[in-house]
Amino acid sequence: MNYSIETENLSLWYGDFQALIDVNVKITDGQITSLIGPSGCGKTTLLRCFNRVNERYGNVTTKGKIEILGKNIYDADVSLPELRKAVGMVFQRPNPLPISVYENILFGLRIHSPVRNITRTESDQIVEEALTSVFLWKDLKDKLKVRATSLQLEQQQKLCIARLLPLKPKIILMDEPCSALDTKGTLAVEELMEALAGTYTFLIVTHNMAQARRVSKECIYMFLGELIEHRETQALFETPEHPKTADYVQMRYG
Amino acid sequence: MNALMTRPESRKKIALQGIAFIMVGAAFIFLWNDLKKTATAHIQTSSVSRISGTLPSLLSDLNLILPISLMAVLFGVACAFYLEEWLPATSWVRRFIESPVDFLIEIPSLLYGLLAITIFFNYAGIFKEIGTPPLQNVNESGLDVIPFQRNTTIFYAEALIFILMVTPVALKTTQEALRSVATPIRESAYVLGANQWQVLAKQVVPLAFPRILSGACRAMSRAFAAAALLIGIHISDHTTGPRGIPDRFMLFLGGALLLSTISSFLKESRLETSPTVTARHDSL
Repeated sequence: MNYSIETENLSLWYGDFQALIDVNVKITDGQITSLIGPSGCGKTTLLRCFNRVNERYGNVTTKGKIEILGKNIYDADVSLPELRKAVGMVFQRPNPLPISVYENILFGLRIHSPVRNITRTESDQIVEEALTSVFLWKDLKDKLKVRATSLQLEQQQKLCIARLLPLKPKIILMDEPCSALDTKGTLAVEELMEALAGTYTFLIVTHNMAQARRVSKECIYMFLGELIEHRETQALFETPEHPKTADYVQMRYG
Repeated sequence: MNALMTRPESRKKIALQGIAFIMVGAAFIFLWNDLKKTATAHIQTSSVSRISGTLPSLLSDLNLILPISLMAVLFGVACAFYLEEWLPATSWVRRFIESPVDFLIEIPSLLYGLLAITIFFNYAGIFKEIGTPPLQNVNESGLDVIPFQRNTTIFYAEALIFILMVTPVALKTTQEALRSVATPIRESAYVLGANQWQVLAKQVVPLAFPRILSGACRAMSRAFAAAALLIGIHISDHTTGPRGIPDRFMLFLGGALLLSTISSFLKESRLETSPTVTARHDSL
């Protein structure tokens, strides 16, 4: 079994507050893994370690080792743009850039290859491929010049996934991708994730346990910065090993 | 985009702004002609009357305010970008600057005028030359009628006051504008691998630009509002000039002001109804 993300004794502090305590986790390649747990337990923090966006806050200290695709991302020779190219991220609220749909999808490519000129036919093809794989091409093919921020929220969120694809990432991190969407939108995004799993490794933070059960193969339960249990989803929900997990998944807590 | 541009009210707005622009231009052309006429009249009669009209002071203020406040606004905007985007969030410089800036913004512009008089006049003593009678070097050339000739020390004093007055407003409003672009929105470009400059250019500035611009306008208007005070400071600097303000200039300038006010109302009503903008607010 291949692992795309491996951490070793990962600890993280925001100032004096320790948000992650000795987290050891192995994320399996090419499938959907979900992170569940009560608010403030470090799910999002863990997720944000994997593409090093946490560092943007000045007072963060990280210790331990994170290997992504076999490379420690805290090594000195790691280039952040390359890392973020390989590890895409989708946020809670859809946040497309305030430019056209077409340019949103090409944005990643343009910043990674500023010198290379992408010909019109090439870019048309890239946009069509990306939109087709998120099932948006039919809806948006006549709206490519529309400002992305004026689309429906569901379409915006799908677009946020689509714009990662031209960069050919290996891992896609999702931080509660459906919390701003209605049932229909949630369902659409989940279907999309299932369709794309295999090609990409998904790591999804969710508060919605039904969703975690529906979409993910493996599930991780976290509590107050510690990783409590990491097992196959069905096993974790039906026969939790740890009493804390049992409390949470059987809704006695959280 | 195209659909928005062809909305009737926005077409009206563009037309009104165009007319306002032309009227301002016309006003300045008339003013220039009037000034030239007055200057010529003075040369011909070679008699100088000691009348302190408003116009010379007003114009010399404009002459001062425009470049200085433009520079001060740019400086303030640049400072805000540095403070917000480059300094780490925990830096003490940010906290250190915050309260003086707030303080300077809240001071009414009248007090800046008093400050100018008190500090620069009484203590620094750099206004000493004001006392010399300006009549001596007027008669030969008659050039002194054109009010752009300045006493340089006063120029520097005023420039300092203006920088003190305009920069904090520009700084604060730009800071607010940059903060209005929420962190998750910025990060959408960061997680695609963009560097700081790319995020600024493609994401933050386009979203914050309207607010930065209106902040800059507010800062400039503060400078213009204080112009009247400065007339008091250097009233003895210009003793000659045309009597009163040429009527045509005022008429056209007033008309332009009215039109631009109307057009700004039109713009607001368009903002309220535009689906693009509401959708964007929603997504923020």
